[in-house]
Amino acid sequence: MTASGGARSVGGMRIRRLPPETVNRIAAGEVVERPASVVKELIENALDAGARRIDVVADGGGVAHIQIADDGRGMSAEELALAVERHATSKLTPNSTGEWDLLRIATMGFRGEALPSIGSVARLEITSQAEGVGEAWTLNVEGGEHGDVRPAPPLSGAGTRVDVRDLFFATPARLKFLKSERAESLAVTDIVKRLAMARADVGFTLKGEGRTRLSVRAESGTPHEARLKRLADVLGAEFESNALLIDQQRDGVRLSGWAGLPTYARGSNQHQFLFVNGRPVRDKLLVGAIRGAYQDFLARDRHPVVALYVDLPTDEVDVNVHPAKTEVRFRDPGLVRGLIVGALRHALAAAGHRASTTVAGAALGSARPGVDSPYGAPRGWTAPRPSPGGFAEAMPGLAPAYSARLEAGDLLERGAAGDADVSPPIDLPLGVARAQLHETYVVAQTRDGIVIVDQHAAHERLVYERMKASMAETGVARQALLTPEIVELDEAGADRVVARADELSNLGLVVEPFGPGAVAVRETPALLGEMNVPGLIRDLADDLAEFDEALSLKERLEDVCGTMACHGSVRAGRRLTGEEMNALLRGMEATPHSGQCNHGRPTYVELKLKDIERLFGRR
Amino acid sequence: MKLTIDRAALLKALNHVQSVVERRNTIPILSNVLITAEGDTARFSATDLDIEIIEAAPAEVATSGSTTAPAHTLHDIVRKLPEGSDVRLETSGDDPKLTLEAGRFKTVLPVLPSSDFPVLSADGMTHTFELGPAELMRLIDKTKFAISTEETRYYLNGVHIHVVNGAEPPRLRAVATDAYRLALVEHALPSGAEGMPGVIVPRKTVAELRRLLDGASDSVTISVSESKIRFDLGAAVLTSKLIEGTYPDYERVIPQGNDKLLKLDTQVFKDAVDRVATVSGEKSRSVRLVLGPDRLTLSANNPDAGQATEDISVDYDQEALEIGFNAKYLLDVANQIESDEAELLFADSVSPTLVLDQSDADARYVLMPLRV
Repeated sequence: MTASGGARSVGGMRIRRLPPETVNRIAAGEVVERPASVVKELIENALDAGARRIDVVADGGGVAHIQIADDGRGMSAEELALAVERHATSKLTPNSTGEWDLLRIATMGFRGEALPSIGSVARLEITSQAEGVGEAWTLNVEGGEHGDVRPAPPLSGAGTRVDVRDLFFATPARLKFLKSERAESLAVTDIVKRLAMARADVGFTLKGEGRTRLSVRAESGTPHEARLKRLADVLGAEFESNALLIDQQRDGVRLSGWAGLPTYARGSNQHQFLFVNGRPVRDKLLVGAIRGAYQDFLARDRHPVVALYVDLPTDEVDVNVHPAKTEVRFRDPGLVRGLIVGALRHALAAAGHRASTTVAGAALGSARPGVDSPYGAPRGWTAPRPSPGGFAEAMPGLAPAYSARLEAGDLLERGAAGDADVSPPIDLPLGVARAQLHETYVVAQTRDGIVIVDQHAAHERLVYERMKASMAETGVARQALLTPEIVELDEAGADRVVARADELSNLGLVVEPFGPGAVAVRETPALLGEMNVPGLIRDLADDLAEFDEALSLKERLEDVCGTMACHGSVRAGRRLTGEEMNALLRGMEATPHSGQCNHGRPTYVELKLKDIERLFGRR
Repeated sequence: MKLTIDRAALLKALNHVQSVVERRNTIPILSNVLITAEGDTARFSATDLDIEIIEAAPAEVATSGSTTAPAHTLHDIVRKLPEGSDVRLETSGDDPKLTLEAGRFKTVLPVLPSSDFPVLSADGMTHTFELGPAELMRLIDKTKFAISTEETRYYLNGVHIHVVNGAEPPRLRAVATDAYRLALVEHALPSGAEGMPGVIVPRKTVAELRRLLDGASDSVTISVSESKIRFDLGAAVLTSKLIEGTYPDYERVIPQGNDKLLKLDTQVFKDAVDRVATVSGEKSRSVRLVLGPDRLTLSANNPDAGQATEDISVDYDQEALEIGFNAKYLLDVANQIESDEAELLFADSVSPTLVLDQSDADARYVLMPLRV
């Protein structure tokens, strides 16, 4: 510890400059992490070369062989030789004053690292044919050793074909850390899909492992339509009919894309995609913003499907944070975050009570007449849930399908006798109630179809929305503590919580700074009763770090509201009169977000006449 | 083991011990009650490893011995036996079963060896004192409503019993709080309790003790150590572990300078709070108190359920004050007040309020306001 010279010569080690191969392998460790990153780098190169069609082949998890062929501009023999040199790129050019500006990057790549990095850890072959030239050139690099540029048989047109074989043969340690072939193969598919979602105007194919894993044509049409088509191709055809258009602009930042309806949610957040200036990125910002925007509509373990595209001036975002460029840094993350939450909420509110068509589709799918039932009784049609007793007991021996029809008939007649508005104007979105089946489902007639409502789910949502409105009106009551509860946190966490004290106080939680690394809690939301204060504060500190929003507190408050709404609403099994049923339908029309219950399940299903006609083979 | 016991005596003993037994147990023998027959007494004992209750009942013992049998099953059976019947309990040496007969009814229950039954030792008790059942009941009843149920503040999950040395003569004090309200009751220090360690008696123990105290007439011998407490009620003995932890320094939250004195009729106040709170929110139950000259206006407002107000005549001559409370907390405290007139002492609308019972100068309650 006495002199720096002493530390330097420990064990006889001297500082020396590393040979270029070693430098490249170290760089490769950052850029080329796994086969998927090779695929990503090469596709990005192809996109930067103006390709309209990119064909990818990946075998053996991408370790044995990766081939990327594009129809981009291609390279001349000289360019080809330079392309495999480190920090050689066509993508950065000095401006008029000779400065290289890393803050205005419009291309996908720019570091000039991909090809030399790949070449240093694999057997690389590049064949390229420049635009307007009939000759092609090829070049091999193996474990960092460059071969000569040689003439090659011409390609079918301008473009570049890159073959990568035996990835990581030069770095056996890295090879050992790869996951199973299948996992690597999935990662390759994932990155190709992400890039395909980013660029609807480019066609992609992914082959290998004996099959075609993705094949999408270049889409034409308006950008939104093209994108939606592409998303449907990649995410599944159902996405197309369950997506809401997002398109908003604020302070030079444009947010567009498609957001899935809450009823079309998935069990994991793997189906949330963010693209910044066309670049697929994984960002916690997105996860938090989406959670915040959908918070009201989904149970905590359901995640919406979302593909969002942020376009902003290149000097508003730093893409040079991570060698693989999977993370970006926004100059104003709050603006982007606010834009995402605002746009999603806006779209969801505008969608109002629209429920997923998947639901109707699923209902129709199960309503096909079965082979076993010659009379075509729509068996699967009755209900996803078993009916709560009632009828089966009253009329033993009748098949459920028959009893359902009888009951409906019975009620219909009663309705006809009792109700004044049997042939009413049915221009209302949810129509006029015609019957209640199994004391659980309300069936209503609309102008061009029928609507089936789950009475409990629907009423629960109405009660919940009313409670939320009243909470917003009166504020959250705060119960003062006898002695402030001191919660120890790390200093940054405590600062984050204290910085949001005003917002938290509106939610019923009053905190004050208590020296470095501690907060004093003086009042807690009365709604939550006796609570685990330190637990909540720590969750909040984490939330604020990760999502920049006090999610845990809001979620807990809404949980309480949700439970109370559940208890305060009409249960399945309760018989409703015609007036009650119609009141429920009108309430749903007037209430925002009434298309799904608090857990993201649909509250109603609409079947159009043409759907029903299809069922009977009339169309 | 072979004994005959009156059904009523058996039921009472089982009633007392079986509530300690958890419904589900990972250690099978904890579902059982230990039955020991000796002399002219049958002893029934149950434990959850934290609390143990042993109750004795007179019985005709033909052969002494001991066994353990499922507590809840036994209790359910005895409960359903006709009143006044004699119950015969028998185990034969080589057959591990308990036979229960009453009249023409007979049942055979599985048993586990009594030697495996865990016993909560009561060694090392350092202080022993006596308290009348009514006095002990008062200490419990007036504090237990304020015990915290939040498990992260485990040290508040019980009643804190300790000696106040500052007073002359020293006093025995019971305190409970859940951090939103606090209840404190004192009693003259019984002899033998001088210098006893401050203890936190767990909520479940408090509830069990309270059940045993119903109908008890003899004074209760209480033994205390650092980690355990034992209540000897004669026929029944309850031993319990204590909550390990330091009870927070609660004394500084008891307001000293509250000078705005409100005197009101306890019953009128309770009824009014209850009525008005009907419309306040289901969970927060907020009620607003507006104090003016000799007049208190209670009100609740809920956009959903409507609003309600009630004026009551009170004794108040200080400046006007407006303060909110959780109705449940107000009623909990008001229910402890025995005198016709209760006293509330306020400082302002954000500071703790002190509630006093005119007929019991040794009881004090502190309430934190609710703010909307």
